Amino acid sequence: MRNKEWLITPILKVAIVMLALFSNSVLAAKDFIVTAARPNVVFVVDAKAREVVATHKIPNTSMGNSPITLVPSKDGKVAYVIHNRWETISGIDLETGEEVFRAELSGGGVRGKAPFAMDLRPDGKELAVFVNPTQLLPGEYKVLDPYIAIFRTDAGRAAKPVRKLPVPRRVSTLAYSATGKFLYAFSWDMLKLDPQTGEVKGKHPWRSWHRPNRGEPDTLAIWPQWEQANVFATPFYVASTDKPEGHPEAVRAGVWALDLEKDTIRYTEFENASVVLFSSVVNPVRRDEVYTVYTQLTRTNLETGEMDRVDLDHTYYNVNVSNDGSELYIGGTQGDIAVYDSKTLERIGNIRTPGGGDQVLTSLRIFSR
Amino acid sequence: MNRVKPLNRKAHQIAGASTEEAAEKVKAMSSVVAGCATTFDPGWEVDPFLGVAGLCQPMEADLYGCSDPCWWPAQVPDTLHSYPDWNSGKDDAARDWRALQSVFPK
Repeated sequence: MRNKEWLITPILKVAIVMLALFSNSVLAAKDFIVTAARPNVVFVVDAKAREVVATHKIPNTSMGNSPITLVPSKDGKVAYVIHNRWETISGIDLETGEEVFRAELSGGGVRGKAPFAMDLRPDGKELAVFVNPTQLLPGEYKVLDPYIAIFRTDAGRAAKPVRKLPVPRRVSTLAYSATGKFLYAFSWDMLKLDPQTGEVKGKHPWRSWHRPNRGEPDTLAIWPQWEQANVFATPFYVASTDKPEGHPEAVRAGVWALDLEKDTIRYTEFENASVVLFSSVVNPVRRDEVYTVYTQLTRTNLETGEMDRVDLDHTYYNVNVSNDGSELYIGGTQGDIAVYDSKTLERIGNIRTPGGGDQVLTSLRIFSR
Repeated sequence: MNRVKPLNRKAHQIAGASTEEAAEKVKAMSSVVAGCATTFDPGWEVDPFLGVAGLCQPMEADLYGCSDPCWWPAQVPDTLHSYPDWNSGKDDAARDWRALQSVFPK
């Protein structure tokens, strides 16, 4: 026994060192931003280094209309993007730039457009896309029922949906729950769907959200950016029905958030509407903090409604946050991503898009390695 | 019937239909909405609060964000359907806006 002690101690030491190294590697996981820019670029940025580390081109696309919604796999290997005037989805390998997946939504006299809503199941095996189809007849366009197309991501470059799920109109966001068991579709209400059948399993009211002295809330939720906190958050406006038109409190602004792990809602109505608010992200560490952008950057406490605000150098559409909650990455619209300190709200960096093309309406997503 | 000549676009579509079934698919008076969307926001003139402070800064930051989704089809060419190449090669709106041209119905 004594003879073995000399062996066990070094093994324990090695194990402790290995554990420490592993912990450090987990703690030190680097954030990479992946987003798109005009005319056909998907690019990857080492966030802390403020450096573009990969630039890839989307093949066979429209050079006038810009890429929109983008979703990377959790391992950062492939990014799926809607492009080609919203009629095509491509999966771009972020290491090689190869197009490994492609689905055409139009064909056979039917024009299919994917207006923004798209998400990848957390295991990366299925892609859900909201499609608005229109039949092109000789003398008119016939509007067909929308659907959610479910694709297998290993379907290659001639991918066809393996399922089509019925869904109401006006879906602006699709978001898988953290386990992939449910698929949220933000339409007239936030619907919780069975991603196998489309059956509605639950609902968080939006249009049917009734509160005393409040009208129907309004929002524009087309920017998926919930991967760090697993919380979907969107700013909203709502009329105070007990206040006359023109009264300072006649329209109120707030942020509404759905926890994609717990299926719970939080919201704060924090000010009289005074500035335009476009998209929000929740801090994954200080989880009461939510940041919203447009021409200002606004930090709001979801519990207390306390608010801080700074002016930005130009209008931006979207915002995301580092995995340690310390930095904000603000993009969309023009050809740069601004970096802000989440505590001080000071600008601490800037990243130009490759070639300087505008980002327009695309998504600004993050994966960690 | 041979003496009946089509005069307008719809009538030409009926006359040019390959089969009777195809002719029946031509519906008169079906085009009411001009443009690809019914959205007609106030545009860049005023913001939602009827002022100007809430407008995009600068306007070029929002230019392709409006033309891409056909947000203001009357004010900005529709690159989603009708004028897909209006801004091709002009990828930085703040730099390239001078090169953008007006469009006219085809």
